Amino acid sequence: MRVAITGTPGTGKTTATDAVADALDLDVVHLNQLVKDEGLWTERDEDRDTLVVDLDAVRDHLGDWDGIVESHLAHHLEADRVVVLRCRPDILEQRLLDRGEPEAKARENRESEALDVVLGEAVEFHGEESVYEIDTTDRDPEAVADDIEAVVSGAREPSAGTVDFIEYL
Amino acid sequence: MSEAESGDKWGIAHVHASFNNTLITVTDITGAETIVKSSGGSVVKQNRDEASPYAAMQMAESVADQIKAAGISGLHVRVRGPGGNRNKSPGPGAQATIRALARAGLEIGRIEDVTPIPHDGTRAPKNSRL
Ligand SMILES: Nc1ncnc2c1ncn2[C@@H]1O[C@H](COP(=O)(O)OP(=O)(O)O)[C@@H](O)[C@H]1O
Ligand SMILES: [Mg+2]
Repeated sequence: MRVAITGTPGTGKTTATDAVADALDLDVVHLNQLVKDEGLWTERDEDRDTLVVDLDAVRDHLGDWDGIVESHLAHHLEADRVVVLRCRPDILEQRLLDRGEPEAKARENRESEALDVVLGEAVEFHGEESVYEIDTTDRDPEAVADDIEAVVSGAREPSAGTVDFIEYL
Repeated sequence: MSEAESGDKWGIAHVHASFNNTLITVTDITGAETIVKSSGGSVVKQNRDEASPYAAMQMAESVADQIKAAGISGLHVRVRGPGGNRNKSPGPGAQATIRALARAGLEIGRIEDVTPIPHDGTRAPKNSRL
């Protein structure tokens, strides 16, 4: 089974996925790292100090993948289930600042989370029947990992639009 | 005749469209003064239709009345947010809002999309589709 774990940077994807990978015997791809290691990008976005990903090159590189792909870009891939992690935007911004990220980056990701950018794309690309939204606000990574395991095992129903963060724009 | 009476003033409509909600704020041309503020309301789960084109249209109509009463006849639009799952971006809230403002007799000037982009050392190309 192909599980995409996506969500705005700072929602805790990498942390939760590491916990899930320990518990389940699944292959995990940390896509942001892969893009850098394998040069799967087309240009630099100088304003954001970030690489613009070559999605076709990523798809070619991953080929017939199985397991978990984790990244805020994971929903751009075909997948059987798409997990979208959420976090209240002001808390997300603080998590990113605490992780040492620049203010402008923390702010733009906060705004993205407030406007449901990743969730909207995930539903647009995959349909509500394949999307599993998990709110991580005030929850520890182990609890989030348990929820992801429930998605993988089929114990959790699809969901989208369970939070409204627009007031945190 | 003053500018307000002639009704040829321009403003900026800031349209924020999320999966669940649409907000419209109209400011003066400098962005400093808020003239009208409107919200689709909090619409989690039980009332997703608040983000629908219909809700955005109704909101836009009431906003248009207030804007015209303030002597504004034209709007530049700044859209933020993909606006949910019913249409392509900019979302249903945004598109429907702009159409409704035009239908209510307001002139629409520049439409600028300033939707934030999630990024973390990498980002997706613009307008990428699966
Ligand atoms: N459930 C959580 N509660 C509080 N802080 C968290 C949680 N999950 C992760 N963090 C912290 O927030 C920051 C972002 O987590 P990370 O896993 O790097 O997110 P992502 O991979 O989604 O960008 C890290 O500093 C991490 O230690
Ligand atoms: Mg990460």
